[in-house]
Parts: sequence; C-alpha cells; structure tokens
Amino acid sequence: MAALVAYGIDPDRAQPPEGPVATVRRRLDGRYPIDPFGADPQLQDLAGPLLELAVRVRVAHAERLPRSGAALLVCNRGLGLAEPAVLTVAARRECGRRLRVVGVPDLPLLGDLLHKLGGVGAYPGDLAALLRAGHLAAVPLGPTWLRRGVGTPPLGLLVAALGYPVLPVAVVPGGPLGLPLRPWRAIVGEPLEIAAPGGAVRAGDPLGGAELAEAARDGVRRLLAEPA
Amino acid sequence: MRVLVTGMGGELGTRVTQLLEERSEVREIVGVDFVPPRRRLRRSEFRRIDPRDRERLVAFVTEVAPTAVAHLGVYEPHSRMSPREAVERTEACTVGALGAAARTGQLERIALRSGVEVYGRTRGLPAVPDEGADLAPGSAFGRSCLEVEALAAGLGRRHGARVAALRMAPVVGAHVPSPLGRLLRLPVVPVPAFADPAFSLLHLEDASLSLVEALCVGYDGPLNVVGPGAATPWQAVRLGGRVPLPVAGPAWRGACRLAELAGAPVPAHVLELMRRGRTADGSRISDELGLHDLRATQEVCAELYEWGTVTALRAVQEVA
Repeated sequence: MAALVAYGIDPDRAQPPEGPVATVRRRLDGRYPIDPFGADPQLQDLAGPLLELAVRVRVAHAERLPRSGAALLVCNRGLGLAEPAVLTVAARRECGRRLRVVGVPDLPLLGDLLHKLGGVGAYPGDLAALLRAGHLAAVPLGPTWLRRGVGTPPLGLLVAALGYPVLPVAVVPGGPLGLPLRPWRAIVGEPLEIAAPGGAVRAGDPLGGAELAEAARDGVRRLLAEPA
Repeated sequence: MRVLVTGMGGELGTRVTQLLEERSEVREIVGVDFVPPRRRLRRSEFRRIDPRDRERLVAFVTEVAPTAVAHLGVYEPHSRMSPREAVERTEACTVGALGAAARTGQLERIALRSGVEVYGRTRGLPAVPDEGADLAPGSAFGRSCLEVEALAAGLGRRHGARVAALRMAPVVGAHVPSPLGRLLRLPVVPVPAFADPAFSLLHLEDASLSLVEALCVGYDGPLNVVGPGAATPWQAVRLGGRVPLPVAGPAWRGACRLAELAGAPVPAHVLELMRRGRTADGSRISDELGLHDLRATQEVCAELYEWGTVTALRAVQEVA
C-alpha cells in the first residue's frame, strides 16, 4: 500500500513548512492530508523545526537509517517522554522522514494531539498496518527509572514487525541525570538479523517475535555500552 | 451463475446490478427490495417485496433457486428508514432470503455488504483494525452487520457456500442516501470540540465494484473495503465550506436533536464516527480482488459537496 500524496504533501517525507498565509489558507479550506492513523503532515511540518530548536541531537551512524520503505527503530527510554522526541528530530534531520512513534496513550486531548503529530497507539494491529503502509516507526522498550540499562521489549509489537528491517537505537542524554547540558546522542545500530530454526521467519510467529525481542534488547544494550 | 440481489432498490443495489449485467458469466439476475431500483436495468428481473413479508420473500427466493446471492439488504439506520425498521428489515431479509436460498441446495456463494462499524471504537481497540481484529461493535448498525456476517458464515459452513463479507467504510456521495452525508452537508455541522479523529469513506463505485468482484471470484471470508487516506470532521466541514460548531460532552445530545430538526438525524454509528473516528486497514483488497486505486477518502468527501444546492424555479403562469 503506497502512501497517498494529497494536496502536494507527502505523508512520509518531511517538507519545509509553507509561508504563514498559505498555511492559514490551507487550514481554513480544509485542503490538507490526514492519514488513517490520524497524523496531520502539515502540522508535523510546522512542529518539526520547533522541535529541532528545542531538542539538540547528535546522531552516530546516521547512514544506517533507511531512506525509504518500512522499518522499525527500537530504542531505550527513561520514562519515555524525551526519547521519542529525540528520535523524531534525528529521523527528520538525517533522512528527511516523518517518524511514527508507537505507544501514544488513548487519552482525550493529549492523545489526540500526539496522534496528529504522528503518534500511534500501542496495538500490534496498528503497527502492522503502519509498516504495511511503508512508514518509519519507532517502538520504545519498557521504561527504566533513571535510565539504567534497557527495559523489557514489547513482545506483541515485535511479533507484528517480523519481516521488516528492525534497527536498535540507543538514546543517551547529554548531561548527567538526564539534564540537557550537551546535545542528546542517538546511536543507530545495524539492522537485526534473526536466524529461525526452520529457515525464514514467518510474520506473526511468536517464537520469531521472542527472538527478535531478545536481539533488539541485546542490540540496544551493546550500543549503550559503546564509548562516546 | 444465477444471482439474487437483495436490496436491489438501493443506490448500491442498483449499481451492483448494473455491473453484474455487464458480466458474461452472470446468466440471470433477479432482485428484491421494498422500493424499485433507482436506475434503468436491462436484463434483470425485479420483484417488489418488503423483507418483513417473510412468506412472499421465501416463496420468491425458493422459486428462483439462486446459485449466488449479492446480499445488499443490510439497511443503515436513518438512511432511508428509522433505526428500528432498519434492524428489523435487515434481520428479516438476511434470515428470509439467505435461508431460503441455502435450503434450495443450489447456493454456492454469497457476497454481503457489511461495514467497518463491526470493529467498534471503544477505547482500548486498535485505530486501524485489519480483518483479524477483535469485533466489538458499539452501535446498532455495527451489531446488525455483525449478526448478518455471523448468520451468513453459519449458512456457508453448513451448506458449503463461500461467503465474502465486505466490511465497507461509510459510502457517501452527492446522491447516496446516507445519514453521515446529510449531516456533513448541513450549513452548520457539529464537530467534536476537543478532538479531531480520522475517518475513512468509500466511493459508491468502488463499493459496487468490490462486491461484484468478490462475488465473481468467489472470495471467502471478511475483507475491509476502505478508501485510502482519511479525513477529520473539522477538515471535512471546511472542505465543504460549512461552518463547524464545536460540541463537547452532554451538548452532543442537543446538537443531534437540532441536526434532526434540520433534516439530518444522527444515528449512534454516525455519532461514534464523529466523536471517535472510524478507519480500517484496507490494504488486502488489491491482492485479493485485484482492485487498485480506490478513490481516496478526501476525493469522496469533496465529491459529496459538489452537488449544487437546489434552486427553486418560479412557477410559469401561462399555459401553451
């Protein structure tokens, strides 16, 4: 399922925001695309540069981020508020793509706003549909207080991602205790290879999903251990 | 193939019949409904029977003994009748027509109109469900569709017939009777004040094509049919140049009442769509039925508003 380009705005490739007059006119006329997951690419383009100003990021091995096609990034997180923003900035700046962060809470107002900015609920079915549509998605591992080590991988979501490239990403705060004294660091790993006992891994295979989860956790842990 | 089209009098039923008439493998087409077809049909036979008249319906279907049924007698509440009548007619039509067709022993395949309303939109359910997702309808129309699917699937299993359940996004168009279409075409449209959920629509032509294709290839199982992309209430209202009226919480009850007074009653499934959105993953249709490039949701939405407003003609006094 190819992404639908409507009104000249690509749902996958980030674009520079239009002038204020054109933007307001589009909003008033309703001539902007919406994707089935609720994302509003025009709002994403408006929010992207602001986020880049607010969150400073250095990306290591940016060349490993896929330039096109469906892929999943698996990253560590503390409570999970800053890391998705860091990855969104990294994906936007390094490969010009809109990152779809999985795990948006289904809450009134906040949930709706995050959905508009490209977030998706943590449902395996939604992640599968997202990847089928060719998007770049990110799934955080379980929360870790004080960012010590890596959290539990979300097994159900990783089962849904079988068959697509999965890259581990370590997100490291700039200063001690997570203070933004220096830019955040995002270290992108090699795509994970999982060997199935009987040949290729089939989509929806729980055992393959468990192996992928383990490989993702190890991948992120190794990246975190890399010296700066 | 001898095809019975239930609900032939509807917009969808009439278009499906026209498309079936073009197919060489369809030898004979007969249809029933409580209103006559809306367009000219060339080689189909139509019998006007209210589905609630069970005896006549069963006698007619038994006499026809169809090998395939295009089951479009699934009536949407407030589309052309009250919600209570819609549920009654849908149930009567499904039990009567499908049951009688199955008992003749000739039935090989069924293609039925269901809706993405079967997935429901309560919190804790995926936003873009695929065909394997849990079914938890939250409205009368959703439950009605689910019942039809279950009845047909049961008949299919017992009589060895293939049953294609096409879960369609809301079908709207300038001339399609639809409660959602009427609501969006009001001059002032109630929209959720603190949310703007995405919903998908389906063009009448794509809905008809998918049904005919599913029937002709003998597809078995459920299949989502959804226009690509999505729209939101705020956006749809502005696309049509209408005025959005933000509504929240208990004020929806009053807004629905006002909309009803203005000629656009709002059934539960349309209210659910406006407040919680409604989409589904329709990526399988190109592989399963070979249908590509369905019309996008926003195209369907724009087309909904293209029908010009009615201009009153002045009465001419002179008589020739």
